Amino acid sequence: MNEYIHGVLQAVAAKTLGLLEAYEPLAGTYDELVESEGRPRAHTRTLFSLLSRLSPRELARHQALAELSLYSQGVTFSVYSDQQGTEKIFPLCLVPRVIGAREWAAVERGLVQRITALNLFLDDMYGEQRILKSGLVPADLLLGAKCFDPKLRGIAPPGGVRIPIAGIDLIRSPDGVFRVLEDNLRTPSGVSYVVENRLVTKRVLRDAIELSAVRSVEQYPIELAATLRALAPQGGDGHVVVLTPGIYNSAYFEHSFLARHMGLDLVEPSDLFVDGDVVFVRTTHGPRRVDVIYRRIDDAYLDPEFFHPDSLLGVTGVMRAYAAGNVVLANAPGNGCADDKAVYPFVPDMIRYYLGEEPTLAQVDTYVCARPDDYAYVIDHLDQLVVKAVDEAGGYGMLMGPQSTLAQREEFKRRIIAEPRKYIAQHRIELSTCPTWDPSNERLAPRRVDLRPFILTRPGETWVLPGGLTRVALVQGSYVVNSSQGGGSKDTWVERLEP
Amino acid sequence: MISRVADYCFWFGRYLDRAESSARLLQATRTLVFDADIPVTQCWAPLVIVAGEFEPFVKLHGEPALGNGETVQEYLTWSGDSTVSLRRSVRAARECARGIRDQLSLDIWEEVNELYHWLGRDSTRLLYRDNREEFYRNVRRSTQLVLGLVRSTMLHEEPMSFLWAGVMLERSGQIARILDMHHHTMQREGAHDIVQVALWMSLLRACSGAEAFMKANRGRVSAQSMLGFLLFSPDFPRSLRYCLRSAYGLLRRVWSGPSDDFELHQSISQLGALLDWLDLRAENPDLDIIHELLTHVVDETGEICKQVVQEIQGPPRPQTAQSQSQTQ
Repeated sequence: MNEYIHGVLQAVAAKTLGLLEAYEPLAGTYDELVESEGRPRAHTRTLFSLLSRLSPRELARHQALAELSLYSQGVTFSVYSDQQGTEKIFPLCLVPRVIGAREWAAVERGLVQRITALNLFLDDMYGEQRILKSGLVPADLLLGAKCFDPKLRGIAPPGGVRIPIAGIDLIRSPDGVFRVLEDNLRTPSGVSYVVENRLVTKRVLRDAIELSAVRSVEQYPIELAATLRALAPQGGDGHVVVLTPGIYNSAYFEHSFLARHMGLDLVEPSDLFVDGDVVFVRTTHGPRRVDVIYRRIDDAYLDPEFFHPDSLLGVTGVMRAYAAGNVVLANAPGNGCADDKAVYPFVPDMIRYYLGEEPTLAQVDTYVCARPDDYAYVIDHLDQLVVKAVDEAGGYGMLMGPQSTLAQREEFKRRIIAEPRKYIAQHRIELSTCPTWDPSNERLAPRRVDLRPFILTRPGETWVLPGGLTRVALVQGSYVVNSSQGGGSKDTWVERLEP
Repeated sequence: MISRVADYCFWFGRYLDRAESSARLLQATRTLVFDADIPVTQCWAPLVIVAGEFEPFVKLHGEPALGNGETVQEYLTWSGDSTVSLRRSVRAARECARGIRDQLSLDIWEEVNELYHWLGRDSTRLLYRDNREEFYRNVRRSTQLVLGLVRSTMLHEEPMSFLWAGVMLERSGQIARILDMHHHTMQREGAHDIVQVALWMSLLRACSGAEAFMKANRGRVSAQSMLGFLLFSPDFPRSLRYCLRSAYGLLRRVWSGPSDDFELHQSISQLGALLDWLDLRAENPDLDIIHELLTHVVDETGEICKQVVQEIQGPPRPQTAQSQSQTQ
């Protein structure tokens, strides 16, 4: 351990310059720390002055210590493609991203509004489908969404909340406006890193956290447990479990982290069985009834009887128990039809339709290739657009037009012509940047970031975790923040609102 | 508690103690080679045999390699092929620990994790090459630290009972095997009484039991008394009888709740019968029947472990869990 830190210190010369002296934001982007003249923003002054006093050598040492501590605590994710089961830490940059109190309050309102509308949309889609009859949105597109399962129609989840846990990906465009990039309404992950990152960052930047009046994030597991308990059909004393695919799943650390911090049992599919449309867990003292399942397993693997007859995975009969109202699944099955990339362009319409309000949170203008006008535009402007396959995630199946080769564009053109419904396109947004430790040059450099806030909903109440997961593209010039493709993360500080 | 979690706890204990006893055994055998005047093959081959690895080992390295201490150590320490190698035991213990991370204290988890990563480092390979004693000592220390943390940082509830029952049953199996192996070697060599005492003494040291034995017997040594101590001492925590008794007590405690049908737990009655059987023999230890005795204990503990796992799981399960990738 000491060898490692010693090595890092050898490599970073004892520079006397403050960390921020040579920091230059990228032209044409919004920097989260400084204004274009290099002055701190109103809400980043405390952090700015602290960073100015810190030397690169000190930060390098803290970084090395932080990485070691995450590794030895096993705060890792598995690299799924790697048969050896290699584990990596999700790299953490200790320089936090700060969000002002007022700014955050507006984001929070927008998120609550969006989740409320999406919940109503899901109820509608699996119910009367009024929105389709209204003609506001193209029915064939919504019904054709890959994750829309007609078999689920008519099943209302006990408690009525379909999206107890959501993660909405936001980016900030050069005009400083937060925009929704993507909704994650099935099994959004990453919240464990939010809590862990704060613990690590606190050790180094305790004073700055106090001085900046940063809102706490450690209460997330408690809020989540309360949310899950509130969903139980019989109220607060229901038996709640966390369902994981198992220790080889890439997000297993998070599943176990959440179970541990909520004091709930972590179960695998084989621990559960269904008898008389009631779910039980096998215990050393016989079967015990389960009332709420926080499942971190995709719909497709949830119940072989319902979704995949040839699958050996899942809990046979759990969907029957769900339909009978005997167990709550969080999140509800079928939510994928609301976070489909092809459905995303219509979310503002949903907000207007269901709530009679204007959306307060902006999103990215999107071309839907299923619409003839958009289709023609996309085909003609591939070199300027970011094209995304609607059923891929994790940054895969994308064409970054401005950086692409002719061959790549031709390939995407062929794919779009073959299956227009599968593709959407957007103009590339210059993501905002944040000063980020660049170990090879031993300095802070601007790197692009996004933000995934987490939103918890129980009957009658929606709660937003202050901040969320800031992901950062560690590679210079990169726009891809996904952990599987060279992304890292940062602690996110939300300033407390003055009373 | 959840059956699978109990199962993982049980196996975590077993793998942990297996890793510790592998390190102990390898270290002790290195000493034995110096202490005793017996052919080298007789020292190393039994290790491979008691590990149940005779066939795969010979297939891989040929029979003469059984006499090669380096090959045997390499195989039993590092081999990815051998299911009982030190490294595999540690990896398996860590996998179990990951599966029951919510049951273990952070201290336990960090230490297991650290041991696992330590074994994977190049510098550890160098330590193994250059300072074998230190290497084995490190493994033992680390595993002992985890065992100590289990008792000092976990709630003494059901999960720990299963975990510790695993430790105790694994340990009794291992002790019985080592004793049998030593006994066998001595018989074959027809060793003189003085040599026998030296051999048992080295074994006692390997079990950290030399001082305890001296205290219990006030310095009077004989092959018979030393063997008797390792088999039957009611107070020495590495004696066969102590380990089995301890496992018996733990399982009884777990399965004596109001909702449990005591009769259903064959593991407990079988363990009880084995203890009675041992108690009878403890009254009049006989060196001549030692091999039969040890074989019986090894077979029975093996059966009891299987039984425990079955009873933990309850009736057969319809499906098995596997991993999948997730996208969000």
